Amino acid sequence: MNGTILEVDALVRSFGGLRAVDQVSFSVGKGQVLGFIGPNGAGKTTTMRILATLDLPQGGDARIDGVSIVEYPEQARRLTGFMPDYAGVYVSTTVAEYLDFFARSYGIRGAARRKSVDGIIEFMGIGDIRDRPVESLSKGLQQRVALGRAIVHDPQLLILDEPAANLDPRARIEFRTLIRELAADGKTVLLSSHILTELSEICDEVAVIERGRILATGTVQDILRGLRRHRILSLRLAVSNAAIERFLLEQPGVLKVHDAGDSGRWQFEFDGADDAQAALLQRLVSAGFPVLEFTAQDAGLEDLFMKITEGRVQ
Amino acid sequence: MILRTPETESADRLDRLSDLLSPIVIKEVRQMVRGREFNYSFTLSVVAGLLVALYTGMYATTGTEDYGVGIFAALMACLTVVGVVIAPMGAFNALRNERMERTLDLVTVTTLSPRRIVIGKLMAQAVKLATLFAALAPFVAMSFLLGGIDFLTIVLSLAAVFLWSLWACAAALFLSCLSRSRAISGLIFGGMIILLLFVIGTGGMGFFLVRTVTYGPGYGGPPISSAFVTGGTDLWWGLAGMTLVCVVSMVNLILLAENRLLLPTEDRSTALRIGFFVQFLLIIGVAVFQVSSRPTYLASLFANMLGVLGGLQLAGVALFSVTEELVLSRRIHLQNKNASGWRRYLAIFRPGGARGAAYILAQMALFLAVGAVVLPISGWEFSWLVAICGYICFFTGVPACAGRILSPRPLKPVHLRVGALLLFPVATLLPDFLVYLVTGDFGGIYSLRHVLDPIRTLSAWSNPTTTPWHFLSLGLGVIGVASYLILIRMGRRASSANETAH
Repeated sequence: MNGTILEVDALVRSFGGLRAVDQVSFSVGKGQVLGFIGPNGAGKTTTMRILATLDLPQGGDARIDGVSIVEYPEQARRLTGFMPDYAGVYVSTTVAEYLDFFARSYGIRGAARRKSVDGIIEFMGIGDIRDRPVESLSKGLQQRVALGRAIVHDPQLLILDEPAANLDPRARIEFRTLIRELAADGKTVLLSSHILTELSEICDEVAVIERGRILATGTVQDILRGLRRHRILSLRLAVSNAAIERFLLEQPGVLKVHDAGDSGRWQFEFDGADDAQAALLQRLVSAGFPVLEFTAQDAGLEDLFMKITEGRVQ
Repeated sequence: MILRTPETESADRLDRLSDLLSPIVIKEVRQMVRGREFNYSFTLSVVAGLLVALYTGMYATTGTEDYGVGIFAALMACLTVVGVVIAPMGAFNALRNERMERTLDLVTVTTLSPRRIVIGKLMAQAVKLATLFAALAPFVAMSFLLGGIDFLTIVLSLAAVFLWSLWACAAALFLSCLSRSRAISGLIFGGMIILLLFVIGTGGMGFFLVRTVTYGPGYGGPPISSAFVTGGTDLWWGLAGMTLVCVVSMVNLILLAENRLLLPTEDRSTALRIGFFVQFLLIIGVAVFQVSSRPTYLASLFANMLGVLGGLQLAGVALFSVTEELVLSRRIHLQNKNASGWRRYLAIFRPGGARGAAYILAQMALFLAVGAVVLPISGWEFSWLVAICGYICFFTGVPACAGRILSPRPLKPVHLRVGALLLFPVATLLPDFLVYLVTGDFGGIYSLRHVLDPIRTLSAWSNPTTTPWHFLSLGLGVIGVASYLILIRMGRRASSANETAH
């Protein structure tokens, strides 16, 4: 990790008797995109609001580039760009005026302000709509403007709560590209979304939260590897051969072989490292089985999500 | 190469100058000039001005009377409607929409503080008012030229209407922060408009405001400027007092709105308590000033004024201060701990640890000291001031203290406030009601059971029939003060526990 920008340490937030956020800890490095996933009511938005200094934790702290959100919220706000799950537009305000207002609100003055607004408009590719009222724009464009607003003061950390909600596929893809560009530019991004396939494409790492507790953090594959004791391998033969099942079960490390349904495709659990997997393939070929495919099953974020969470809400 | 024309240069200069303004003002003014509400208001103001000018102008050409005063009165009526109805409506909607559309959170995460947001909204309304006043300026000038009204009257009347319009806007901003619910917010808004129309209907126009100060009801008499010359400094002091009351209470309305916008975990009390303390000092100051400049026989009148106004202010502030949370949020705790320099001396104004009770007791001590030392009042009048303080302590301290001690779970301030508000009607009405149930007669004569009714007891304090029960009223006060002291003790314990926890 290239230096930690966000360090969350044992955050606690209760509402009455309900622990919405319970000892939440994780960290994100510079230029990383962390996906924050969990079912509804898991504590994602509360955590994000705490990090955006819109709420205060009852316990724990978070540091943004070393600045405590509890002790120095004003300083933390300068380092953070927050985009909630709604665009938040003003009526009778053009795109340029909207961004200008937020630049002024962050204390950016004179030429620096004009440069910042123009830069954002160019980066977001919204030059042709700069004089259009924000409320007249489509949802996708409003989200773009909202993202522009969140980065108008050049923050180090971006907190995006469900930014792609209600967007059409094209707008979603464009939005994803923008976020990757921001990360490439050195911005750290904390992002929540319900669209898990999308998160897996943007995020370097994920943090899974349920009932206010962090269940797992890391890359999707690392978490899955930690969850599964065995890898699942898939094998496809050019010609179907019933002897393969018996052969596989005789091999060291092979467990639970079953026919995957397609002609000549088999799946089995394998308890072994990469070298053992390579040796198994060698033995299959040496035994004369016409191997067409031999792959470890690539589990996605949805698989991980379903495995980790229990679907319980508070 | 970029060509720089005089137009682009002046636009750049204006842009640089705009950095001196609040971002909220710039945004609001941009939205305002494009909004229908402002354009309609502006057009209607100009049309009203034209109609008044035409109507009065027709008569002015036929006679020799001074028609200026009539035009001016009609214009002031228009300006009062603009200032006391249209501008506050705009202020109310400006902040309500910000909350309803959830854009307030987006502004909150910038470096703008809630106070700057509220002041920005108020200043935007000031710009709107100034523009609408300017629209009527040519007609006001016409009234001056037609005679019957002097320049000083015009200036003072316009200033008074402008200032009180800003006050109404500040009140509207505060009211708009009271509820997040669309329905309740709408109800508050409707109530505010009815109240404002009532104020206009009964209070008269801004023009009469100044003239009433000068001559009493009606708008006869010579121009105000001559009255200021002949009336000595009293009139100026009157105006200065009115302006001061307006400004101080307006600042407190801004602080109240800020209090509603701040997160519960922020320090929402210190500025507000200082503001209300200044307002309390102003009440005392006005009473003392009036006593010093009046004959001795009027002293008791001003002691009454001090008692009623000071008592009402203390009661209102006590209801909120004494019932505050004893335990501080981490952020306030850290702010208190890290307070340095002059900020350390503001400890009594800070929240938490039952400082609110100490804050009220300190003001009561000041209140009584002024009553005893500065005002030339009799013993019974002083005992009346003591009884006022005693009742305030009883009706705020006892429910707060009992609620904290008896409730198995920590009660929220709002519960304690509701408890205190309920105790008052119960204590005043229940004894009479029970007597009625038993005897079938309300019994209008003051008796022992009415000691619990502060309004009845205090309004009849000098009446011999109440005198035998004075010691009981004062006894209630002692119970109230004791509950305050218990609260302070509880607060200190909670603070120590808090200190250890953090």
